[in-house]
Amino acid sequence: MPAVTTPNGFNLDNTGRRVVVDPVTRIEGHMRVEVNLDDQGVIRNAVSTGTMWRGLEVILKGRDPRDAWAFTERICGVCTGTHALTSVRAVENALNISIPENANSIRNIMQLTLQVHDHLVHFYHLHALDWVDVVSALKADPKATSELAQSISDWPLSSPGYFKDLQNRLKKFVESGQLGPFKNGYWGHPGYKLPPEANLMAVAHYLEALDFQKEIVKIHTIYGGKNPHPNWLVGGVPCPINVHGVGAVGAINMVQLNLVSSIIDQTLEFTRKVYIPDLMAIASFYKGWMYGGGLSSKSVLSYGDIPEHANDYSAKSLLFPRGAIINGDLTKIHDVDLTDPSEIQEFVPHSWYTYDDESKGLHPWDGVTKANYVLGPNAKGTRTRIEAVDEGGKYSWIKAPRWKGNAMEVGPLARYIIGYAQGNPEFKEPVDKALRDLDAPVSALFSTLGRTLARGLECEWAAVKLRHFQDKLVATIKAGDSSTANTTKWDPSTWPKECKGVGFTEAPRGALGHWIKIRDGKIDNYQAVVPTTWNGSPRDNQGNIGAFEASLLDTPMQVPDQPLEILRTLHSFDPCLACSTHVMSPEGQELTRVQVR
Amino acid sequence: MYAELPTDPRPRGLAGTDEAGVGVQLGQRTAIYVYEAPVRLWHWVNALLIVVLIATGFFIGRPLPSMPGEASDAFLMGYIRFAHFAAGQALVVAYLARIFWAFVGNKHSRQIFYIPFWNARWWKEVVWEAKWYLFLVPEPKKYEGHNPLAHLAMFTMFNLTLVFLILTGCALYAEGQGQGSWWFAAFGWVIDLLGPNTLWVHTLHRAAMWVMLVFAIIHIYAAIREDIMSRQSMISTMLSGERMFKDDGQ
Amino acid sequence: MARLETFYDVIRRQGISRRNFMKFCSLTAASLGLGPAFVPKIAHAMETKPRIPVLWLHGLECTCCSESFIRSAHPLVKDVVLSMISLDYDDTLMASAGHQAEAILEEIRHEYKGRYIAAIEGNPPLADDGMYCIIGGRPFVEQLREVCDDSMAVISWGSCASWGCVQAAKPNPTQATPVDKVIKNKPIIKVPGCPPIAEVMTGVITYMLTFDRIPELDRQGRPTMFYGQRIHDKCYRRPHFDAGQFVEAWDDDQARKGYCLYKMGCKGPTTYNACSTVRWNDGLSFPIQSGHGCIGCSEDGFWDKGPFYSRLTDIPQFGAEANADSIGGAVAGVVTAAVAAHAGVSAVHRARTKAGMTTPPQPPTP
Repeated sequence: MPAVTTPNGFNLDNTGRRVVVDPVTRIEGHMRVEVNLDDQGVIRNAVSTGTMWRGLEVILKGRDPRDAWAFTERICGVCTGTHALTSVRAVENALNISIPENANSIRNIMQLTLQVHDHLVHFYHLHALDWVDVVSALKADPKATSELAQSISDWPLSSPGYFKDLQNRLKKFVESGQLGPFKNGYWGHPGYKLPPEANLMAVAHYLEALDFQKEIVKIHTIYGGKNPHPNWLVGGVPCPINVHGVGAVGAINMVQLNLVSSIIDQTLEFTRKVYIPDLMAIASFYKGWMYGGGLSSKSVLSYGDIPEHANDYSAKSLLFPRGAIINGDLTKIHDVDLTDPSEIQEFVPHSWYTYDDESKGLHPWDGVTKANYVLGPNAKGTRTRIEAVDEGGKYSWIKAPRWKGNAMEVGPLARYIIGYAQGNPEFKEPVDKALRDLDAPVSALFSTLGRTLARGLECEWAAVKLRHFQDKLVATIKAGDSSTANTTKWDPSTWPKECKGVGFTEAPRGALGHWIKIRDGKIDNYQAVVPTTWNGSPRDNQGNIGAFEASLLDTPMQVPDQPLEILRTLHSFDPCLACSTHVMSPEGQELTRVQVR
Repeated sequence: MYAELPTDPRPRGLAGTDEAGVGVQLGQRTAIYVYEAPVRLWHWVNALLIVVLIATGFFIGRPLPSMPGEASDAFLMGYIRFAHFAAGQALVVAYLARIFWAFVGNKHSRQIFYIPFWNARWWKEVVWEAKWYLFLVPEPKKYEGHNPLAHLAMFTMFNLTLVFLILTGCALYAEGQGQGSWWFAAFGWVIDLLGPNTLWVHTLHRAAMWVMLVFAIIHIYAAIREDIMSRQSMISTMLSGERMFKDDGQ
Repeated sequence: MARLETFYDVIRRQGISRRNFMKFCSLTAASLGLGPAFVPKIAHAMETKPRIPVLWLHGLECTCCSESFIRSAHPLVKDVVLSMISLDYDDTLMASAGHQAEAILEEIRHEYKGRYIAAIEGNPPLADDGMYCIIGGRPFVEQLREVCDDSMAVISWGSCASWGCVQAAKPNPTQATPVDKVIKNKPIIKVPGCPPIAEVMTGVITYMLTFDRIPELDRQGRPTMFYGQRIHDKCYRRPHFDAGQFVEAWDDDQARKGYCLYKMGCKGPTTYNACSTVRWNDGLSFPIQSGHGCIGCSEDGFWDKGPFYSRLTDIPQFGAEANADSIGGAVAGVVTAAVAAHAGVSAVHRARTKAGMTTPPQPPTP
């Protein structure tokens, strides 16, 4: 394949040197990426491959819809809970169950907790090492580091002594020769642009964030019993509220409300005093590195989430924006209908699945998945020892979802672009301020760094909303309503013989939808289209490339054997492969190929 | 002992050659001593324990509506479980004693513990008895002990089920006693066998309870019916130990 | 050589005082349920041992085990990673990727042959040549075999590695297989749970480092110290169970009083885990305390023992709805009806026979 232009406007040329990165690390799940570099080391073709598949939806078939949340929650332990929430919403939509206001508040609190936690852990523990050179931190002057830290934030852990102690610990760790997770990192790579002091500060906050993240999730522990994988309930939430009477100690009571409240305060403080200042400081050193925009300036999608009012999933009730932008036209925000069979469709010509007619896409309610692991004719290596995949054939365990035929980017940046385009001040003002502080144009948003920035801003937004819903929960209890579950349709005998529903959320990584069909009280069909299916999608039959592939194009690699720039851009999406690659058939019996083995 | 049984569909007198049966003439009727006292005692004790076990077991699986008041004021589930465990252990002891008696007692005391699986004639008589219950033959045959169909039911539905209930019950009790207990050492293998954990053991224990309940229904009905319609006594036999043959001497 | 350095050397060099070190040792002892007498022993062990390399592999999983691991409050995971072990490979956290990452596996396997721990999260799928989970262009199961073969012991993190977990639930389309069915030549410590409790994970590792031995395992291969008792045995709601006080419906009065969740399908009575004692996220709560029954996530095959809201398991041969009570009740009903019918017919039969004969019964007329 010499140079071609894809229908969605990207130039691909796979004639240059092929570089393979497998495994892509610091993501959830397993992923491979292959790129072609031109003579200048610039990426001219990118091929992303989801390299795992678990088949959860066929496992769900025939089970109790009330149990589905637990199965789908195990799609992903990083964005834990978001699939469960989507699942209970799908079941409630199918069975027409309404939930109490308190359940809505608690669910929003759990979902926002996940947003905050996920973004924080992503930034510091999955993404930071793409920007921060740990070894360079050894050269920092603790005093200068302290001055830097104090100049950007009044976070108390910023004395010269603090940074010196930390630097000593780091130094001795590095000198021990046992580098642990930092072993074979790309230290000293010319792509790292931070001065040693900023690196040292970032390392300090890497460790502080590691300590702090375990506090945030205690909100899940209180309302859901544990984290990862808290408990959920069709019809509400499982935790009862009792703040007044006998037995309050066995329910959500004042002590626990106080604990949640205190964690929310700490979260806001950490986000405002550590995360955002670090993000802005790092961004200021990487301002010139404006690669990785990919699809974000063309087509973005958000379903919306965080309903202000229980059971109202209309765009005006949803605090996260809802809509789609295509062809880069920010002036027009399209409505999104998850139930319209012509809007969301999944294609498989380049996925390791097969349809009877692969020229067509299928809406999730009618989705079919038949595993079909075959490499394209130009693949190098063997079936079980892949040296290079052939993007002309099938090459990924991820399907290719399209919205009205368009490949879409989803995630914090998509939400912020849509919110910004809508003129919603909650999204527009922080973006404008950040861009002003960085002295960058709006177009700078369409980049790797823009994605990372949107995530940080969203973390703060979510922390603020956490406070809002916790206060709302207390206000509702104060008004005399302590109910947390609606059990009128708990018994399957109250259900219709056949029904179908859809549930959606905005997971930390983007738009997430579950489609369910129920028959005779059992799951007849279950489909999930998840954020990383959108972002990590392979090509479709028109040749449109997905967000991961688009974002890597035109990026120069300074050291072709060290995939620092590739990791940086891919990580900015926060890929979640276990999510994206579980998609499975409603017709489980079609999996004969698997079953005979 | 089946070899000695009369083959004439309507025998008039006892075969009388059975070494263990003691023939007694009572007017026009014949009575023989079938169930020795320990067997009878065990029968009734066992019946009582099974009633207790089924009732308590049912409510362990599906507890009664909640008790009011503080947890410290009530111990209903505790008492129900205690009764179940106590009755279960008594049942095990009684069953072991019954096995002992099978060795020292008369031939009837052994009957429920085995079936003459390879005896074709016995199977034929099982069919004959089944036909009697289906009103296809006018009269049953006469037996000192269990008739072959009853014998079959007694061995499979009762005896095997009881053994299964005892083993699964002890395994479940062992789990409650903890992994270091001698109970667990003795019965943990049942959990491993039916495992991986006791969820399935619970289910099977409960399913076996239903088998036992169904057996009890059939057993009681058949005993009453046979008492009225067959040619030998039933219920009184389990009280006195003597089986009366009603149409002897006619 | 740096790698012969002991845990204590490292911890001291990293600016941790002897006093704090001893405090850490007593916390470790406490978290393992050991008395103060063990503190000097732990301290001695840590003073004399080098950091052990850990290669943490990921198969088919959801990364909840890694997420749980980083929630550990005592010890803090940063101390585990910086001072106690050498986490040389872990796809989720490591800086390097691709060839550089794969090179680490090679290096550790050769330089520390038989002296490192293989920590496995997730499991290998065996269907379709194992290509439902591809690492470095090869099936994960190959990587798993290579890394385990040269290790000294294998830790199976979570229910995926221990039992198969959700992807192995029926009909297990990828033929996901637990680690111990693939690795036969190494001691395997199963730390099940979906995920396991953070402090149990770090507790198991610290135990191995401290006492230089594999924990005592039960018949299923789990450390008895954390998996020796049922959640039910130590549940704080147990008095309500014994009293006969149950939640009858979600959010009812009994739920608000914290009664027993047995009737809501709680699997605490059949689940071996430390949730009701160690609890979750720094001992804050656990599922039952937050109002939802235990779903038995640390038990083998728990996904197929559902539904989660029923006490009795389904009997699959009778369709998804059927359990022992529904089948048994139906059979008992049918038998009772049959008995009644039979009794009726018998009575009629007898009445007819009696009326027709004062003499001995006649053979039936054909």
